Amino acid sequence: MDEKPEELKTLQSIEISLTVNEKTWSGEVPVEEVLLDFLRYRVGLTGTKRSCESQVCGACTVLVGNQPISSCSYLAFEANNRLVTTVEGLAVGEQLDPLQSAFIRNVGTQCGYCTPGQLMAAKGLLLHNPTPTYEQIAEWMKGNICRCGCYPAIAQSILEAVEERQKP
Amino acid sequence: MLKPFRLLEPDTVAEAAAELVGEETKIYAGGAELLLLLRHGLLDAATLVNIKRIASLNEVSWDGSNLRIGSTVTHHRLETHPLVREHLPMLAQAESHIGNIRVRTQGTLGGNLCFADPHADPATALLVHEATVTVAGKETNRQLGMKEFLVGMYETALQPDELLTQVQVPPLPAGWGHAYLRIERFYRPTVNVAAAVRLSDGKLDGVRLAVGCVGPKAQRLQELEAKISGLPLEEAERVVTESKPYITDELHPVDDLLGSADYKIHVTSVLLKKALGQSLRNGGEAKHG
Repeated sequence: MDEKPEELKTLQSIEISLTVNEKTWSGEVPVEEVLLDFLRYRVGLTGTKRSCESQVCGACTVLVGNQPISSCSYLAFEANNRLVTTVEGLAVGEQLDPLQSAFIRNVGTQCGYCTPGQLMAAKGLLLHNPTPTYEQIAEWMKGNICRCGCYPAIAQSILEAVEERQKP
Repeated sequence: MLKPFRLLEPDTVAEAAAELVGEETKIYAGGAELLLLLRHGLLDAATLVNIKRIASLNEVSWDGSNLRIGSTVTHHRLETHPLVREHLPMLAQAESHIGNIRVRTQGTLGGNLCFADPHADPATALLVHEATVTVAGKETNRQLGMKEFLVGMYETALQPDELLTQVQVPPLPAGWGHAYLRIERFYRPTVNVAAAVRLSDGKLDGVRLAVGCVGPKAQRLQELEAKISGLPLEEAERVVTESKPYITDELHPVDDLLGSADYKIHVTSVLLKKALGQSLRNGGEAKHG
């Protein structure tokens, strides 16, 4: 269940301008609004999921700059003048990101709820380290919980995406 | 849902300090801990003072004898920073264990120290480094040792109108080895141990030991350090293993969600023993010939 939270009673709004998946968004946001709500209800991008709201599970992971953050616990105004990438921004037109193709091929998902966060965490890893080892993948991805237990397939998907990128 | 608050964004430390009035005014740095407390209603804040616009707080520099780390530098920057890796490899290691990559991207060293959660990583390593912190108020600017700064569970020596501006960290002296060991559950360390040791003529001739997570705050174990100085490694390990009563007296262990007091004391003595050997292998054994 994810209903739009009741309108925030705010004391203060801030004018911000940011880029979400290559599109510019400008306008006012309440200082209390978290990036997750901003993305889902102002921009209309519902790929980013709400879950623990405690920086633990990773379902709400998006990239700000090239760094993964928990959008549930990150104030939207902090993204002013920055680039935000969500799972909707991974594919280029119909062309899936190598990570997405590898997740599909390896069934790196079961119920799928954590998948957008897994993909964005993995994307952040490859931007940070284009050729991670299995151990580095495990260490980086430990912050993204998959209750269906698809970890081996997720790790394999990331390794395959790395290989694919290295192909001439 | 976060309750409404007022946001202030000062550009200088003096401006920030001037805003720190009233119990419901809180400093907002990374927000990694603060926003969770606000959401869960564990803390009320009518005003948040965002200190991330203060450029001087976001710097890392080497002054020839200390690494100076601004309070809003994030954990991820520290774990990857070339100066930290060069001069303070143990701190880089401790930083790399914090939470998960998202927490490290957002959370700051200053925020972590001021929150003073007993189950934290940096304080334990900073105690062994004998780091100092600078805190500034409207009319004050003082420097404190880590030991004085850490007061208790979620409690520091910060006055209500003060903010932490910088952490100064001297590297370990030449010839010392180090080890940072921890066991973890749910992203937070259950127990962590930092050690720095030097061996000379087959005997320990310099020892620093710190333990976190067991009691209300991270602490050095200075009596134990003195007791094992001058001993060969094997004897020092034996003394450490037999020191549970002293460690218990010193650390004031508490039962918590991550383990009982007895369990944490047991783990402490195991990690301390391991840390001695590992420190020697990790640079503390003088090279001959």
